[in-house]
Amino acid sequence: MQLQNNDGESENILTSADLSALLQSLGRERSREIFRQLFEFFAPRLKTYFLKGGATSELSEELVQETFVIVWRKAEMFDSRKASASTWIYTIARNLRIDRFRKERRYLYKDDQFFANELVGEETQLDDHYQSQLSERVKKALPLLPAEQSTIIKLAFYEDASHSKIAQYLELPLGTVKSRMRLALARLRKLLEGVDL
Amino acid sequence: MINHHLSDEIVWAYATGSLPAGHALLVSCHLELCQGCKARLAEAEVLAGAMLQTSEQQKPSDDMFDLLMARVENEPTLSAGAYLAEPKPEKGVPSALWDVLGHGYNGIKWKMVGPGIRQFILPIKSSEGESARLLKLSPGFVTPEHSHHGSEMTLVLQGSFSDETGRYKIGDVQEADEHVHHQPIADTEEDCICLAVTDAPLDFKGFFPKLLQPLFGI
Repeated sequence: MQLQNNDGESENILTSADLSALLQSLGRERSREIFRQLFEFFAPRLKTYFLKGGATSELSEELVQETFVIVWRKAEMFDSRKASASTWIYTIARNLRIDRFRKERRYLYKDDQFFANELVGEETQLDDHYQSQLSERVKKALPLLPAEQSTIIKLAFYEDASHSKIAQYLELPLGTVKSRMRLALARLRKLLEGVDL
Repeated sequence: MINHHLSDEIVWAYATGSLPAGHALLVSCHLELCQGCKARLAEAEVLAGAMLQTSEQQKPSDDMFDLLMARVENEPTLSAGAYLAEPKPEKGVPSALWDVLGHGYNGIKWKMVGPGIRQFILPIKSSEGESARLLKLSPGFVTPEHSHHGSEMTLVLQGSFSDETGRYKIGDVQEADEHVHHQPIADTEEDCICLAVTDAPLDFKGFFPKLLQPLFGI
């Protein structure tokens, strides 16, 4: 499914670097038009994220809206040298989901500003060039994983499922789920380094 | 120098928000102490962000953006300074643990659970049957040999311990599953304080410890 912008261009031409630049400008300018572009790119994807995580359509929409309220509020703190827009927005959405579904444990996760502002050192900053192309790389790398591995990665990402729930769902021993997850991540890391764009 | 780190699957589970409370606490504490694992978490979050960016799309309601604008126009904005006023915990206590305890290790009301072993069950509500505790092992005592039905993660906060799998010092993490039988022992003059989380009761070997298990509550 492709959504169209007002000017008729496909929004899917926005790269990670474009999105990060947009978010950075939103922090400076608070422009409705920039906010709309980010919304049009991320809202349909966030809705999928919340829906697949088990939220109803109504709740998913509410959470998408909550996510963007926080994006608006905190945009000034976004620093494209420390995170990509998609990562930054993802952590906001993830924390909202934890908040909504598991009130008791939200505080045990770091605030989304924790790493960005306080503790991120040189070592944790990923190479800009690598980072700006990463989602393009992930798109190409995911289909290259064996099905049994990509299934587990997707379950963990979308369903907020613990290892033991994934094990139950796939009717596999817990140890198998953990080792497949480990293999999948190691392989994904290799693929991401090797994918030619 | 930290030698024992978080496994990939634990880092990923933290990044996707799927760890139960106690495990998330342990990971938060380790991340405060370990630059390397923090970098690995950043990498996992980049990956998750990239997955979001490439995911399928579901069209939101037509009026959502207008409703959103109406809301944010009245919203205050936050600047970085808003986050600086947090109270600093005592040295040696990770801030995530400090938030749970509200004080340092000296204020803990330990309960004796066996020779040389004290514990304090952390007041964390968790939905998945896990438990989180602080353990204090005194030097010169051997913890009864035990294995696990599920998994046990242990983070050293003070002192150090050794078992069949190696030596664990401040910041080190041990992940043990049902195949590990071990007998941790505090291996210096100092008490060893650990944060331990289990997702199922520990299984002590031999008749005597098993008998005591219900009393220990571990």
